[in-house]
Amino acid sequence: MFANFKKTKITALVLAASATLAPQVAVAKSEVTIVPDFYPTLIRNFNPFLATNLRTTTDFIYEPMAVFNEMKGNTPVFRLATGFEMSKDLMSVTFDIREGVKWSDGEKYTADDVVYTFNLLKTKPGLDQTGANKVVTAAKKINEYKVEFTLTEANSNAPYDIVKVPVVPQHIWSKVDKPEEFMNENPVGTGPFTAIETFTPTLYVQCTEATYWDAENLNVDCIRMPQIANNDQFLAKAINSEIDWSSSFIPDIDKTYASKNPNHKYWMTPAGTQAFVVNFNNPDAAKNEALTNVDFRRAFSMAIDRQTIIDIAFYGAGVTNDFASGLGYAFEAWSDEAVHNKYKKFNTYNIDGAKALLAKAGFKDVNDDGFVDTPSGKSFVLEIQSPNGWSDFNNTVQLAVEQLEEVGIQAKARTPDFAVYNKAMQDATYDVAYTNYFHGSDPYTYWDSGYNSKFQNSASPRFAMHHWKNEEVDSLLGSFYKTADKAEQMKIANQIQAIIAENQVTIPVMSGLYGFQYNTGRFTGWWNEKNPEGRPMIWAGIPERLLQVLDLKPAK
Amino acid sequence: MGFFLRRLSFYFIALLFAATLNFIIPRAMPGDPVTMMFANATVQVTPERIAAMKELLGFVDGPLIVQFGMYIKSVLTWDLGVSVQFYPLSVNTVLGNAVGWSLFLAGSAVLLSFTLGSVLGIFAAWTRGSKFDAIISPGMLVFQAVPQVVTAMLLMFVFAVGLQWFPTGYAYSPGLTPDWTSWEFLKNVAYHAVLPLIGASIVQIGGFLIAMRNNMINLLGEDYITMAKGKGLSENRVVFNYAARNAMLPSVTALSMSLGMAIGGQMIIEIIFNYPGLGTVLLNAINARDYQVLQGQLLVMTLFMLFFNLLADMLYVLLDPRLRKGA
Repeated sequence: MFANFKKTKITALVLAASATLAPQVAVAKSEVTIVPDFYPTLIRNFNPFLATNLRTTTDFIYEPMAVFNEMKGNTPVFRLATGFEMSKDLMSVTFDIREGVKWSDGEKYTADDVVYTFNLLKTKPGLDQTGANKVVTAAKKINEYKVEFTLTEANSNAPYDIVKVPVVPQHIWSKVDKPEEFMNENPVGTGPFTAIETFTPTLYVQCTEATYWDAENLNVDCIRMPQIANNDQFLAKAINSEIDWSSSFIPDIDKTYASKNPNHKYWMTPAGTQAFVVNFNNPDAAKNEALTNVDFRRAFSMAIDRQTIIDIAFYGAGVTNDFASGLGYAFEAWSDEAVHNKYKKFNTYNIDGAKALLAKAGFKDVNDDGFVDTPSGKSFVLEIQSPNGWSDFNNTVQLAVEQLEEVGIQAKARTPDFAVYNKAMQDATYDVAYTNYFHGSDPYTYWDSGYNSKFQNSASPRFAMHHWKNEEVDSLLGSFYKTADKAEQMKIANQIQAIIAENQVTIPVMSGLYGFQYNTGRFTGWWNEKNPEGRPMIWAGIPERLLQVLDLKPAK
Repeated sequence: MGFFLRRLSFYFIALLFAATLNFIIPRAMPGDPVTMMFANATVQVTPERIAAMKELLGFVDGPLIVQFGMYIKSVLTWDLGVSVQFYPLSVNTVLGNAVGWSLFLAGSAVLLSFTLGSVLGIFAAWTRGSKFDAIISPGMLVFQAVPQVVTAMLLMFVFAVGLQWFPTGYAYSPGLTPDWTSWEFLKNVAYHAVLPLIGASIVQIGGFLIAMRNNMINLLGEDYITMAKGKGLSENRVVFNYAARNAMLPSVTALSMSLGMAIGGQMIIEIIFNYPGLGTVLLNAINARDYQVLQGQLLVMTLFMLFFNLLADMLYVLLDPRLRKGA
């Protein structure tokens, strides 16, 4: 197939050359083959405001004003802006737009485009994929290269949210009748790869143009995206060295991928906490009695052999998490070590300790079935759920069920379809579920999505669905970004973790790792453990990928 | 004429019934399109983002009765709505992109297996008990009994992954621009279709073969065959003009049913060989809870099924004079 593909490429080249009657042989362009997502078929949609767009639209076509480098504590790397300044009261922020940036049709990129884009989101809230309307009340042009954003509330994190909005050219989009149905097939952008050179349902190629403002730092001519429908097809191509840059799941990566070719390399970067979530509103009286008992949750946690789970279910790709607050070693800088150490013993594998704690709390085997019953004498079997097909999660749950049996807690594994899993969590009809959480540059995203009770409704994702409510945690989370003072934020973080840890709300197991696979055969300059410049994932939503592509150089 | 009208009204009621089911079944599944879109999200999905998406799609959360009204209207006006998964593409476009590939793959598979199966069946019946019959008839039934996923995977691993004679996927080489006037492109399409076509045909041959063989055997005992033989007609004439022609009748129904099914695509084959047909579209629509695409595609499948059934009814009347009188 590979040989066949080469042939067709040569044919295409010959055709192209004869069509333009160019006598010289075209200089081969350097193309990076990437896998930013799996698609059943490629649909030519470069509208940056639609969730269904192609994943090379943001960053690569519409360059952000700045990239906040999460791995470096969210320090901004300025791109289409040269800086920003927050007002003292944190109620507004002013961005300085870089002069000399051009759209790919040659027009100047100015404050007007920025203001136009934010107004567009106000008039068409359906386009507001990043939630900017909740942060910004209005964008105002100060001069050609200065924009002032007024904010809905004091928010030191606002610049981070503002640069997530893709800025589109006013001179094009103001003529678009229905932006929410606009496919933007021939995009005019500011990013490094704005020319769509090839587009078929199975492959497309995006190349750089002379208008790109930072051309001298860019050594890649094109990015190339083959259509890949699922992980199996991806694996076949990755093993075959057909992919340069990917961040998909490869089981047992050393054996399956790295050993197949000396150019196959990978680097794992910290991802979010993963934990067992228990339901505090269980309709079953016996289960409710057990799960709302803090000593039971601690015994549950002590029964879990975290390292074994990481080694078996995740092929070693993970870091144990023994923080009752869920923080994990990736956020050690935010940890109050007194709190961490105080509850560490409850989150460390200890069969005897778990048994002793259960006995102390009154969980005894009343009916001689070999498993403990609640203090009021009711027997129960916990069902632990993970979504069908998420094989690492399914294995984790299976191991946990066996480990819980060791300490006398009866449990069984369930693997419902994701929709059923999710609904059971929203409706509080499940017992225990295994889930992952978002990561971020500070623990706010994790705690807010995972513990803020405002997210315990049917419109929200699964993360806060333990249905445990604590007003103090809610208000502390609300005040986190009301200050720009790191010491103040640290104080808030300490209070939050003390409350969560004391209650052992969830049972943290590990901090996951994101996969990143790169091929040194065609390009060098990849970020890795020796050169940890940032998160290198190729997914949309990881703007650092723009910085990574600027660091690439064709291999000699 | 009365027969025709009665059949037609029956099909109309069947259509209404099927259309209602098409609406209910996708919605009886847990989950909704927006939740599924962000199920496996690797970056943060804020409630605002979900709200924005729902606002954009509008129709998803409306009360069921309103959704049903819109659905019936869309059925009657043949405007099947907008896909969620491929927003803002219309369902018509999504299905239109895939229908050609499906008709090509499933249609040629049905025709191929019908022709092969019928011819083999005729000979198997004529030479009943011979070595040919003893091998080919049970042999084809074995292929039919083995799940399609097994034969398709075997084909793929032996001829595509192992021997590398054929590609592992796609309808044509990635990066090639479809050009239906170019001989090179057509060759490329044919080359990519070989394995899927074999995989889709081989499991269907047995059914046609056995049906044909059994009918033939029944007919061969009839007096008029003995009479034909007695008249001294050639073997070919007896087999094809006297026996096969009549034995064909039940197979016509089977054929039109298969053609009706063909529009649903060869789901398993398409998924294994990453073939861009309707089967792949259907599976993706189910996974994404893309109601509009699902109900649109189910409706098209229903219409095709009913159309080919009707066609079979009509053909029967043409082929079998007894029915004309009976009506």
